[in-house]
Amino acid sequence: MKPPSEDHDLIRWLDGEMADNELAAFEARLKDDPVLAKEANELSALSAGIRDHLPAEMRIPHADFFNSQIQVRIAQMDLDESRQKQTGNISLADSFISWIRQPWFATAGAVALAVLGFVWMRPHTQDTAHSLILSFYTPGLGVEASTYHDNEADATVLMLDGLEEVPADRKISGISVHRSETELEIAATTLFDAAGSPLLVISRDAVGHPLFLTNTPRG
Amino acid sequence: MKALLPPLLLLIAGTNLFAQEKAAPQPLPAVKPATEGKVWGALIFATNDAAQLIGTQEKPPAQLGQFHERLSKVFGFKHFEVLGQHQQDIFREYESWVVPSRDLFLKIDSNGPADNGGVKLHLQVWREQQVLVKSDAVLRLGSPLFIGGPKWKDGRLIFVLLLERK
Repeated sequence: MKPPSEDHDLIRWLDGEMADNELAAFEARLKDDPVLAKEANELSALSAGIRDHLPAEMRIPHADFFNSQIQVRIAQMDLDESRQKQTGNISLADSFISWIRQPWFATAGAVALAVLGFVWMRPHTQDTAHSLILSFYTPGLGVEASTYHDNEADATVLMLDGLEEVPADRKISGISVHRSETELEIAATTLFDAAGSPLLVISRDAVGHPLFLTNTPRG
Repeated sequence: MKALLPPLLLLIAGTNLFAQEKAAPQPLPAVKPATEGKVWGALIFATNDAAQLIGTQEKPPAQLGQFHERLSKVFGFKHFEVLGQHQQDIFREYESWVVPSRDLFLKIDSNGPADNGGVKLHLQVWREQQVLVKSDAVLRLGSPLFIGGPKWKDGRLIFVLLLERK
């Protein structure tokens, strides 16, 4: 194996890069070193063969386009340089504009917006500790529902609007229920007060509407 | 005939029940059905006119803290009165009724435990024989649900539902 310096000389000799005195010294070495001379001849023949099979000129594909793009870029750089010289330094706005003109900015911006949108629009079911209304449906005509969480009240609100008003003269009475028992055989639930006395029995009719039986008159 | 069966059975059950009422308090059932938790439901009357209050002595659970102030922040009224209240187990296998009043009450079906605590529920708010809203909800401990109901007098009826324990 030849030392690297010898390889380097051989390549420079083949490429015709040697100065006259270098060339004379190298050719003297070729005469004295038959191994080096043999390798030089083989490489020279190989090089000549390759040159014979390649066209003298290779046309660059779309050369006009590349040339025009390079010229445009050079013109832009010259313009930028002259502006910087005029202003003394690059303004923050110029820096920002040149930053957003970068080709990757649109993609990166879209990804960032998508991530922000996901975080913002994500349903608050993941990490909230308060109650949630997931969905609602108001069968009555004109009745509308809306829901939100009131942070000040620390309560979840389901607001029903458009309901028919309860007549002012109607007596609304409440009861105080402490426990219930359900009779599965007759699908009835009995509600009891704190003393264990029954207040109300609830069942459902054939269409699923609640039925009440009470030992106290209504209203 | 089939349609008459539930009311008939209800009548029989109710007659027996109320006939026994004076005799002795009802014993607790031997086998308690599986539950998902316990809720407190209440019907509240909100008004700005103290003269319209009925004067009930019902008190909300201490767990709700400054109850009236919290209601006021949402609904804007000055005075609130608990008309009726109901503590009810949420049954795992069948429906539960929360009836603080026959005028406005709630049917609950459990949809199982929620991922981060609480209970998933299907709620139906009823006004007598009319369902006002159906809703899927997640109820969490100590976090009340305020349901703004119909107007009454110069105020409004509000239903409050709170998960008291899991």
